[in-house]
Amino acid sequence: MIPERLILFTLGGEELALSLQQIGEVMEPQRSYPFAGAPAHYLGLINFHGNLTALVDLALYLGLKSRPLPGKLLVLDPRLAHLALKVDAVSAIIASDLVTGEEPGDGPLTEAYLETPRGRVRLLQLEALISGLEEGLSQSPPRMQS
Amino acid sequence: MSQYKSLFLSESREYLKTIADQVVALEQSPVERSAVDALFRGAHSLKGMAASMEYGDVVVVAHSMEDLMARVREGALSFEAGVADLLLEGVDLIDAMLSDVEADRECTRPPGDFAERLRGYTPAPAKQQGAPAGEPPAEHPAPQAGTAPAAEPEKAKEPAGEASGTVRVHTELLDHLINLTGELITNKHRLLNVAQEVASPALNDAVSETGKLLRALHDEVMKVRLMPFEAICDRFQRSVRSLAKKSGKEINFELSGREIGMDRGMLEQLVDPLNHILRNAVDHGMEESAERATQGKPPRGTVRLTVSRDRDRISIQVSDDGRGMEPQKMIEAAIAKGVITPEEGALLSPRQALMLSCIPGFSTAKVVTDISGRGVGMDAVNAAIQKLGGTLVIESEPGQGSTFTLRLPMIIAIIHGLVVQCGRVKAAVPVTAVLRTVELARHEIETMGKRQMFQLEGEAIPLLSLNRILGLPLGRFPSGILPLFVTEAKGRRVGIVVDRFLGQHELFVKPFGRPLCKMAGLAGGATLGDGEIVTILDLAGLL
Repeated sequence: MIPERLILFTLGGEELALSLQQIGEVMEPQRSYPFAGAPAHYLGLINFHGNLTALVDLALYLGLKSRPLPGKLLVLDPRLAHLALKVDAVSAIIASDLVTGEEPGDGPLTEAYLETPRGRVRLLQLEALISGLEEGLSQSPPRMQS
Repeated sequence: MSQYKSLFLSESREYLKTIADQVVALEQSPVERSAVDALFRGAHSLKGMAASMEYGDVVVVAHSMEDLMARVREGALSFEAGVADLLLEGVDLIDAMLSDVEADRECTRPPGDFAERLRGYTPAPAKQQGAPAGEPPAEHPAPQAGTAPAAEPEKAKEPAGEASGTVRVHTELLDHLINLTGELITNKHRLLNVAQEVASPALNDAVSETGKLLRALHDEVMKVRLMPFEAICDRFQRSVRSLAKKSGKEINFELSGREIGMDRGMLEQLVDPLNHILRNAVDHGMEESAERATQGKPPRGTVRLTVSRDRDRISIQVSDDGRGMEPQKMIEAAIAKGVITPEEGALLSPRQALMLSCIPGFSTAKVVTDISGRGVGMDAVNAAIQKLGGTLVIESEPGQGSTFTLRLPMIIAIIHGLVVQCGRVKAAVPVTAVLRTVELARHEIETMGKRQMFQLEGEAIPLLSLNRILGLPLGRFPSGILPLFVTEAKGRRVGIVVDRFLGQHELFVKPFGRPLCKMAGLAGGATLGDGEIVTILDLAGLL
């Protein structure tokens, strides 16, 4: 089912989407602090309204071309996770009735491909994304990329 | 109706806890009239609340428990083990029903014939069983063999309500308050930095006054998070009682210090480790009555759980007068298991030998379980205690018993941390895990086989690099001096080399949410005065 409202953003030249309801805030990049044992796609920790929040380079995690900062930070609703995603840019917020077509996703991280006024976008499956990040942390020993 | 559900659940669980406490207390003093009354009232109140919410199954079970207690109150039935078993079964049954109510699902544990069994209950004929020869008959009805009565006679208790000047507050709200207070304190440090730059005496005064007020606010808010140790006591009494019964052992369970206040989060995390130590004490540490008699010990063994407070530290001791552990046999077992080498074994003190039980892999060795009766899962217990910023010490005298002492901070939200630099990462180590800091000259390092060691108080201490542990580039030490801290891992002292010490800080610990909470080796994070975020290392998870 397509969420009521979608936030569209770009990543390595690709257009992606998440449910707007899952996003707590869109922020300008801010200073992050590296932490011990973090895999390469973790840029560090930021303080989001008192919650220590992991900042992930989403392009790097998804295997897309990562651009250096700036960009935008999509901070997830803290009830879902203490996680901020660095993306290249936020392009639009659209209502679901503007979606004209839907194809099923081709992997656990992709819920669907949607036809929108901005073209074809990949709707991410956020729970799978968070679970994947968790699994990566629980399986790998605490090591940090130098 | 739904707005009353959470209140119903929280009050019902309080009544269940009271009932379970009173049942255990009554086994010690079956004639305690006030406890009988309190039990009756607890079941009655539960029934009334459930009826008003139309939870019929809960009503049926509570009603039958109330009827059973009415028979005890009227003297038609004496309070004995069979009654206690049925009441505790009822507590479990209702608890399961409440879980179903909470999850908005169909009842998964219907009452079945529970009510009929209570209605038709008649006590088993008295048997003179298990009483050692020569023991004088008891004047009062004695607790059944294998039960574990509480040390202090329980006073009749009723759940505290709003009438007593208290209000129920959702725990999430308290956590939010504490978090905000922590943020304010962090922000105060930023204001102090700015005030120093601006050089305004008026601003300095205002910030200083704000600091004092924040400290007072912080102290008050932290008190709100404290709960008496009693909140988790009933589980231990139940657990010891049921294990003793199962293994046919006679055990007195004595509990003191239940009024001591502890951090709510800490209490929750202590349940499993303490249960584990207690189970080990009953299962393995304690001999059976006949064996005790041959050693001249009283047939009924004693397990004590003692909680005490020393300023801002809490001490929890679990002691037993059972068979104890022999350090030399622990060493032999560890060598046989390949956990340590014979050379390493020769260097261990008796205290260190007892701590071998906390090494992962040691505990699963059957040979150890047979010899010492200890060690099953002690590695997990030790790790959990260290994660809370606490320490575990084991003392034992063969034939006399064992004592497990846990020393813990009263509040886990604030710890003293040694902040260290490793490459570009700053991290903090709880000072409770730091035995001492050392600045080591290169010429003091000895190479033994593949290991680098140094001598400390006549003991060869192996060196490890925190950078290497964290996968960071190794530090350079142009001055020839290596900063390191000594900690204990796997029962032995080790020196952990870092790039630099950045000083000791009072840290307001914030737990990590998803996904970082899944990461081993991290106990949380904290913000320094300048806004910088550091992670707090869980050394037990890292080493």
